[in-house]
Amino acid sequence: MIPVEYELVLSLALFCIGLYGILVRKNAIIVLMSIEIILNAAILNFVAFSSYIPPSGDPAGQVFALLAIALAAGEAAVGLAIFLALFETHGTVELDKIRLLRW
Amino acid sequence: MLENAWLAWLILGSPLIAFVLVGVVGRRLPEGGAYVVVGSFATSLVIALYFLAQVLLQGAVGGTTSFSIPGFTWIPGNPATVTEEGKIEIRLLIDNLSAFMLVLVSFLSLLIAVFSIGYMHEEEGKPRYYAEIALFVAGMLGTVSADNFLQLLIFWEIMGLCSYLLIGFWYHKPEAASAAKKAFLVTRVGDVLFLAGILVIWNVFHTFRFEEIAAEIPVLWGSSFTPQLATLIPLLLFGGAVGKSAQFPLHAWLPDAMEGPTTVSALIHAATMVKAGVYLTARSFVFLVPIASGGGILVAAVPWTAILVVAIIGGFTAVFAGSMALASYDIKRVLAFSTISQLSYMFLGLGAGAYLMASEAAAGSPEVNTVGYSAALYHLMNHAFFKALLFLAAGSVIHAVHTNDMREMGGLGAHMPWTSRTMLMGALALSGIIPFSGFFSKDDILAVTFETGAANPLFYLLWLAGIATAFMTAFYTFRMWLMTFHGEYRGHGHPHESPLVMTSVLLVLSAFTLASGFIAFVTNGFGNFVFYEEPHAALPLVTPLLSGNVVELGLTGLSLALAFAGLGLAWLVYARKSIPASTFTRTPTRAFLHSMLLHRYWIDDAYNAFGSRAVAGFGRATDRFDRNVVDGIVNALGRGTVVTAALADRFDRKVIDGAVNSISLETIRSSLALRTRQTGQVQNYTWVIVVGIAVILALAFILGFLPRALGRP
Repeated sequence: MIPVEYELVLSLALFCIGLYGILVRKNAIIVLMSIEIILNAAILNFVAFSSYIPPSGDPAGQVFALLAIALAAGEAAVGLAIFLALFETHGTVELDKIRLLRW
Repeated sequence: MLENAWLAWLILGSPLIAFVLVGVVGRRLPEGGAYVVVGSFATSLVIALYFLAQVLLQGAVGGTTSFSIPGFTWIPGNPATVTEEGKIEIRLLIDNLSAFMLVLVSFLSLLIAVFSIGYMHEEEGKPRYYAEIALFVAGMLGTVSADNFLQLLIFWEIMGLCSYLLIGFWYHKPEAASAAKKAFLVTRVGDVLFLAGILVIWNVFHTFRFEEIAAEIPVLWGSSFTPQLATLIPLLLFGGAVGKSAQFPLHAWLPDAMEGPTTVSALIHAATMVKAGVYLTARSFVFLVPIASGGGILVAAVPWTAILVVAIIGGFTAVFAGSMALASYDIKRVLAFSTISQLSYMFLGLGAGAYLMASEAAAGSPEVNTVGYSAALYHLMNHAFFKALLFLAAGSVIHAVHTNDMREMGGLGAHMPWTSRTMLMGALALSGIIPFSGFFSKDDILAVTFETGAANPLFYLLWLAGIATAFMTAFYTFRMWLMTFHGEYRGHGHPHESPLVMTSVLLVLSAFTLASGFIAFVTNGFGNFVFYEEPHAALPLVTPLLSGNVVELGLTGLSLALAFAGLGLAWLVYARKSIPASTFTRTPTRAFLHSMLLHRYWIDDAYNAFGSRAVAGFGRATDRFDRNVVDGIVNALGRGTVVTAALADRFDRKVIDGAVNSISLETIRSSLALRTRQTGQVQNYTWVIVVGIAVILALAFILGFLPRALGRP
């Protein structure tokens, strides 16, 4: 059985990759993809702890993982819809060109 | 009993109503309310005649002739006492004297008001004029019908106010304004003495009412009414009379009072104001000649000094004022001086009459000899008629030539026949030529004075002053008449006769001037008509002519001869011109005398100098005190307040405002700096979130986890 630390390190790696993508990439699609990676890191944690919780694991973690995947699909759909609307109004999805959230 | 006694209130009520009416809506009435005022005076006259008739009829059947008409209680007295001690009531007193005065005043006021319709026709401010004369006459009617000294003083002061307003009618002229002030202030000196006298009376008698005072005098004599007070009270009251009647030394206001309209002068000189002083002395005669409780005279209480003061002031002022009239060129001022001089005759008559009455009683005569008292009031009546006539005729002349200066008149007799003839009648009456009214009463007074000389030789001297005045009066009166109406016209206008409304008044007055002297014949001596205490057939013309007293006939002849001499001298100088007028100024002594008369003995100058030096000097000193000390204190206080305020202001601005401002400024500055951090870039925000979470985690690690991990709480 794979030790839970490995899974947590993997999850941390995925989180850091996603965070990096969010912070540095300019393309909104890629940022969305990075968010999905972070979500997946969190889901991985659910699954890891689901099998790890003594004495014989807890299936609730797997259920949460499935629920989160479904939510992620919805979230991606909403995000893509926002990007489409942004593209229609601004002609771009480059995040450094879009400055809507200011005074 | 008096029938319809309440009507008496209308005598002074109707001019008062006219005053209010004309004062309020006079602008909308025809002729500025003249007809309302004339109507109110006519009402007063009719009612006054009604009461005079009643009083005379009651007197004729031997009834009482003094009636006090109740009005209302002004100040309630002490209810614990039977007489309600200290009560002050407003009542009217109707007796021979006041009924006679009411008729005289209302009749002359009526004629003068009618004359005013013509005289004031072209003037501005007619409603003001008519309202003021209505109040003036109401004041005089109230004065002569007052039942007590306080009420008399109130109306007396109303008259003082009205004289001020009317003399200053043309207030835009500086002379008129200053003459009005002078009249007010000079009479004020007398009024203060009068007020002091009234207060002394209250202090002694605890009442103001004439009849109660007269009854109290014999009761209180020797206790609270001491000989000193017996002298002081009449002198203080006479002080008021001197001020109002313009006797020396308070005569200065009357000649200047000529600055008012001539009708006002006529009103002041003939009907109201100056006669109030004589009336007051006659009304308070009981202080000069106290009456004992059982009738007869209380000889012990007679203030001989006060009587002498009254007579001497009278005799002296007669000569004094008469001489000033000799040199005056102002037609109205000549008349003003003659008024002063004639009023002095009345005071001389009252003084001599009181002395004679008292000395006869002292010699044991049971009879009260009121001849001087009656003679003075007889002269008051006659003088009222002929002086009103003279003033209104002078007004008619001034109306025609628009000047007061007789040097710019002359020859007006041809242009103004009616004015000229009526004024001649007045001049003859003033000069005392038989049979005009002035002759009878003046002769009456002189005869009383001469008769009193037997008791005190001083009165022979006063009698001499009286006949000297008679000579001067005839001279200056005819000098005035001849300069005005005789010879060539020396002015530049186009004189014309006055309108009918004016000349008809002159005609009525000249009829009375001729007739009023004969009233004494009708009543068998004026002393049966107006008298003090008991009727007394007193008229030398009647008595000596009928009794054939050679001395009195001689005296009458002498005064008549002197009057004719004065008249003749004036004729020679101003009509025939056989004696040039320059004769009077030829030698230095004569020139000095002339200039002295022209400058009114420099008394006005002396008063002015006193005013400008002493009073103004005192004023300047107080002014300096005011500026330096009082203003200094006030200014220092002000400056201190300003400094404190400046400090508080600085604290306010610097500290309080500074704190508020700097807080807000810093807020603005920091927010300006901060808003550049709000870029709108999602990723910048993300960075902040990430860094923030990192910091929070680091802090949680350092503060929470590490101490536990190291085993310390």
